[in-house]
Amino acid sequence: MSRPSIMRLGRRAAGMAVLAGMVLTCVAARAQDADLARRGAYLEQAADCEVCHTKPGGIPFAGGRAFDLPGIGTIYAPNITPDRETGIGRYTDAQFDAAVRRGVAPGWRHLYPVMPYASYARMTEGDVRAIRAYLMTLRPVHAPAPANQVRFPYNIRFAMIGWNLLYRPSGPLADDPGRSAAWNRGRYLVDAAGHCGECHSPRNMLQALSVTKSYAGAPIDGWLAYNISSDVDSGIGAWSDPQLAAYLSTGHADGRGTAVGPMAEVVSHSLRYLTPEDIAAMVTYLRSLPARRSEETVGVVSPETLAQAGPNHSNGGRLFAGACAGCHLTDGHGRQVDFAALWGARSLGEIDGRNLVRTMVEGVTLQSAHGAMIMPAFGPEYRNQDLADIANYAIGHFGNRVGHVTAEDVAAARAGVPPS
Amino acid sequence: MLTLQVNGAAHQVDVPDDMPLLWVLRDVLGLPGTKFGCGIGECGACTVHVDGKAVRACSLPASLVGDRPVTTIEGLAEDEVATEVTKAWLDIDVVQCGYCQPGQIMAAIALLKSNLHPSDDEIDQAMSGNICRCGTYRRIRAAIRNVAGAV
Repeated sequence: MSRPSIMRLGRRAAGMAVLAGMVLTCVAARAQDADLARRGAYLEQAADCEVCHTKPGGIPFAGGRAFDLPGIGTIYAPNITPDRETGIGRYTDAQFDAAVRRGVAPGWRHLYPVMPYASYARMTEGDVRAIRAYLMTLRPVHAPAPANQVRFPYNIRFAMIGWNLLYRPSGPLADDPGRSAAWNRGRYLVDAAGHCGECHSPRNMLQALSVTKSYAGAPIDGWLAYNISSDVDSGIGAWSDPQLAAYLSTGHADGRGTAVGPMAEVVSHSLRYLTPEDIAAMVTYLRSLPARRSEETVGVVSPETLAQAGPNHSNGGRLFAGACAGCHLTDGHGRQVDFAALWGARSLGEIDGRNLVRTMVEGVTLQSAHGAMIMPAFGPEYRNQDLADIANYAIGHFGNRVGHVTAEDVAAARAGVPPS
Repeated sequence: MLTLQVNGAAHQVDVPDDMPLLWVLRDVLGLPGTKFGCGIGECGACTVHVDGKAVRACSLPASLVGDRPVTTIEGLAEDEVATEVTKAWLDIDVVQCGYCQPGQIMAAIALLKSNLHPSDDEIDQAMSGNICRCGTYRRIRAAIRNVAGAV
């Protein structure tokens, strides 16, 4: 072989090596993208984007869900599929990050804090980038969100600059070296990604989360998000670790009832996908929340005591026997599934029956590893007074309290149910 | 693949985890004695026994049954209480159209097995989740009372 031909061969080999290198880099980059999107899929579940960015019965992530803010107006969740016109298809990583963690969408459009960016501000930049990578793998859906209807002065979006200066954290909290890795991970999942405080903490006059009453419970969309501080009487101080873990990961814990309303949505779309380690971390952190006393206290009547109670001939007792006992036995156990066990349920110790009545009126759908657990809505078939009577009977029987539910309360709960 | 203990025998069934027990019994195992009524656990027509307790098969995912024994109305031919219940039902002609009756009978047997001498209040409480379009409630209650007297 002559020298030039050897050189040619050498050049060709070198060229092929470069080409192979490029292909490998490409493959590696694609694998990295896939890893990022996979990590993002889990983080999206932890941050529960889907629930708010999907209207009832709508395409997941295509937005349109309405949020009624009393005195302020109605705000619609936007489409976060990769559609270039109506979704986040044109957003860069930096623009997506600014929207999620700083509450500022492209074009300096200031978001309202109904988007929990004040909580997401504590997420890491890398995690938010991973979430965007995941969202970009979704099928683009063309779905413009309806225009927000916001009253003056709240319609001045620039006013949010001041709010953000006051209430938006500047970035992720550094790990507390004095605490365990589980506690720090739990804090991240509860305070930042999971944004639990957005429902479970009361708000001040400017709609910011109260610091002095953090996790002391708050009304939200006609429901009551319960006190989840470590207070023994009104929080979760009396729950065992396994009860907390079971409730978070399945929506039910024996002796604590079953998640309904917005919490059932959180379990269905978010918490049930978290790893046992992450659930345990959340439990560790929740346990450390300072005790905040609130009005609603928990009334637990044991199944043994419930079983002793004879038949109840009040209107509520008779209606319960006919309409409810088929699934919810009067001894507090579920007839066929534990999800139907009412023993110890918080909503049955609450004398104004807010969550109880709303549940009766609109029903519950809780997704589980065994399919959807469904309680049908009893609103259409029953009169307001009948539902109030059932609620007061159930509060008395299961919660050992005197219920104060009125027909007007039932009418108000009916009015709060969003049209499906 | 699930293994279910039905009427004393183990059955391997290849069904989705969230398939209600009722459809496994009727469509997979060919036991049509258990009826479909409302599909949401409100009427009681699909009542069977799981571990001796009356449950609504229409809204119990098969994967939640585990290894607890399931008994349907077909599985009670040799049972003493069931024999007495059948006799009591025939004695006073409880049945009208009959559609809800397998569920009524299964609920009555579950009650009598745990409490052989129930009061009227206890009967009403145990049977309240089983509804009957023909309104045979009074005869059902009387028949249960007669079994209590007979055994």
